[in-house]
Parts: sequence; C-alpha cells; structure tokens
Amino acid sequence: MRIDAHAHVSTPGGDDPWAADRLLLEAADALEIDYLCCSSLSSLRPATPEAFRACNEHLHRTIEHFGDRILGYCYVNPGYQKEAVAEIRHCIEDFGFIGVKLYNEYKVTDPAVRPVLEICIELDVPILHHAGHTWWPLPGQPNISDAADMGRVLVQYPELKLIYGHICGGGDWEWTLRALRDAPQLYADTSGSVVDEGVIEKAVEMVGVERLVFACDMSMTAGVGKLLAADISESDREMIFSGNMRRLLGGRI
Amino acid sequence: MTFDCNASLGNYALRQLRHNTADGLLALMDRKRIDRALVGSAEAITLLDAHSGNEMLSRAIGSHGDRLVPCAVLNPAYAGWEVDLRHCAENLGMVALKLLPHWHGYKLTDACCGEIIAAATELSLPILLPVRVQDGRQLGWLFDVPDLSLADIAATIRAHPAARFVILEGIGIAHSALATERESLPDNYWVEMSRMAVFIGKEIQALVAALGAQRVLFGSGMPLKYVDPALLKLKHLDVSPTEKSAILGGNLQDLLGL
Repeated sequence: MRIDAHAHVSTPGGDDPWAADRLLLEAADALEIDYLCCSSLSSLRPATPEAFRACNEHLHRTIEHFGDRILGYCYVNPGYQKEAVAEIRHCIEDFGFIGVKLYNEYKVTDPAVRPVLEICIELDVPILHHAGHTWWPLPGQPNISDAADMGRVLVQYPELKLIYGHICGGGDWEWTLRALRDAPQLYADTSGSVVDEGVIEKAVEMVGVERLVFACDMSMTAGVGKLLAADISESDREMIFSGNMRRLLGGRI
Repeated sequence: MTFDCNASLGNYALRQLRHNTADGLLALMDRKRIDRALVGSAEAITLLDAHSGNEMLSRAIGSHGDRLVPCAVLNPAYAGWEVDLRHCAENLGMVALKLLPHWHGYKLTDACCGEIIAAATELSLPILLPVRVQDGRQLGWLFDVPDLSLADIAATIRAHPAARFVILEGIGIAHSALATERESLPDNYWVEMSRMAVFIGKEIQALVAALGAQRVLFGSGMPLKYVDPALLKLKHLDVSPTEKSAILGGNLQDLLGL
C-alpha cells in the first residue's frame, strides 16, 4: 500500500473546480498510490477565517465527489486562535478529516499556535507542518519553521503527533536530518522535488525508518522514484510507503 | 539503448556523493539498465582551474570510455581555456563542452562565453548548459548561484545558429520562449527532461508537442540525483515506442555522432 502523506487538492472556485484534482488522481493511479492525504490552501495568505473555512468546505466537497481515497487535513491560520480551534473541531468531528495542515503564517514555536497544538492533542490527530531550513532567506517565508523549532515544541508537548513537511523541498536536508535526529518524537515526510541521491538512505540511518512517511507534495515521480531507488530493505520501504502513516492515523486505514 | 546525457564523476564540493567513481557509476548504471552516460567532472564545478577537473575525469574514466563518454567543463573567463579546449577535444576524447556561467563567475551573455561557444562549434562539440547544478534552496552560505535564465539561453541560441546546445536541468521550458518562439529560433537545441513533470503539469508532453520527440533527451543527473525519478517519467510518457527509444538514447547518440 502507498499513502501519500502530503498532497493538495485544488482551491475553491473556477468553472471546473476539480480539473486539477482529476490530474492528481490520474497520477496516483499510475504510480499505485492508494490514498492521498490532502489539504486545500488559500491562494491568498495569511488566510482569514473565511478563507480557510472555504478551503476546508471545498476539500470536504472534493472528498464527497471523489470518494474516501482522499483524506483531509484541516487547514487553518493559527493566528485566529478561536476560529482555528473551532474549525479544527468541526473538520475532524463533522467532516471526518484526519489531521491539520499548518503553513508558514507563524513559526510553530510562536505562543499563538499553542491552542491549535492543544486541540490536536485532544482530538488525537497529527499536524503536517510546512517546513524548511535554508542558508539564504526564502522570499515571503520569514516565519517558516525548521526541525529544531519543531523539536522544541515537542519538548513542551510530547503527546503531539507532528510531521515535518518535505525533507526534500525545504533547503538543506542534511542539516534537517541532524535536527530530526535530535527530536526523537518528530515524524518527517519525504516529499519535495529534490531527488538527491542517498537522501532516503541517510534519513533512515539518521532519523530511523519508523519516523519517515512517504509523500510527494505534488512532485509525483520525484516522490515515488526516490523511495523506489533507495537502497533499503523491502520492509523498511513498506513502512515508509504506508506502515508509519497508518500507525499515525490510528488504524483509520 | 539508454544513453544518459546528464551525469558526473568525482567529488562534489557541497555534498558527499556515492557511485561517483567509474566502477561505482558503472555498477549503478548496470542496476538501472543504462548503457552509456555523458559524464562531466563534478570537481570542475567549483575548482578555480576547471580544466584540472577534466584531467581528473579522464584519468578516472580510464578504459571505460566505451560507456562513460567524457564531456569537458571549462571556464572561458579563466586564462588559457583555448589550449585546454583543444586538448580536451583532440587528446582526451571529450565530445561535448559543459558551461557553468554562474558557478564560474561570468554571464551567459558575456563576450568570453560567445568566444568559447564559437571555438567549441569549430571543434564540432555540442554545448551543455545546466540551468542549475542543484536546488538553490540547498546552497550553503558560501554559494549564491542563481539559475540560468531561460531568456538568456534563448538569446544565446539565437546568437549562435551554427552551434548545438543541450539544456540540462531545465523546467518551465515548454512555456518559455524556447517553445513559444521556436519558429523564430534556430533548431539547434535539445532539452533534457529530468526536472519536468510527466503528470499533472505534463511539461514533457508539452515539450514533445512543441519541439518534437527528436529534440528531447533522457538525463538523470546521476550520481548527484537518483536515477529512478527520471526513468519513471519516461516509463509513463505517452509517446510511441520509436519516440521513446529516441528520447532514451537515440537522439543523444545522433547528436554526438557516436
């Protein structure tokens, strides 16, 4: 089984709102991806409560349209604390979403994010967090979190299920693997367009196979290809492709 | 026959590599069923005297020139490149020239670049232009190396109609002047597909539609990059078997006259 832990459906609007999603599912079919864990992100960020509610409503309709092969992450801007917490509860309890997606509106260490972290612990759902560590500023991303930030949060919230987003799409992955090694409760997804030779083997060696989850983040052949290429055991490959995410989702799949 | 147009040998300054010796790369190629590869020196990317990388490459390839086909890397802003270029072509058996303007401190549009393109063309060497060596987000504190602009590449192609160019590591080409203005450009450029999408955006299909399958080349970026993603793209590319075979190796073989 293959579960893509980091994917995106379309944003609301347009004459054919699901045109892009059909292409995603076509790719998933060809690459033998069974489930896609998706969020719908507002094109205008930082998102207002109206905008993130519209995205989540659209994702819910998308899941109804295509079936439960798509699993939903509730996207919120944690700066709107009260609205974000209410939206997460609504999406998990009423829509059956499987977790929460946080982008880069706030660093994960910002106290403003705490209510979101706490509702995720209460509801026992994972957070997939956009992340990266670069040596040059990323335009428009002053608040991007890195693995060290996430490690600090997990010291405060050891029960939190937190997934570092795209090892291979957020800058210096060697730095990131070191920081992940030092944050033993932090999961990481393998997505991103970067396909540097050896990154998966190094991640298994430094982070441990049980904390890695397969993902593409829309770079489809990159996501699958690097997992197929990696010189690891078939049981390790299976854990990354699906076993670890299934465990994170508490047997939901 | 699978012939990879985008490969390297040797040590890379920013990251430890595997499979970067001749024996190591050949073993990887055997596992991935790649018959031949056009290889350049990874050291030459950052050595001040890039030509010393060519010498190292030639020694590393040794007797494996039948499968590891050498490509020169030279810096036209560095003294003595004219002698080095001729030596690479005439004595070291190098069949192409790779230029790395932003790594070597000059611009694609600089006069020195035009001079080495003309000299390589005299020697019948195609010019390889990597848009980038690695993702800019990963560059360390010592390096601030922007990607080559597709507009500059198009201008260079237009300025050198007798030369032959291979664009490596490009993305967005199917929606750039290199595709949209193809009628007014010379048909002297080929495009390697390792960074382009075969799903969702389907850039490889758009490129084949714009330029024809005969001008698209298989390349992987090995051993800096995994080979499998590029192979997966070709596996799922919906073109005829003849076109796929041409992309996998026939086009490059023809281009190099091998």
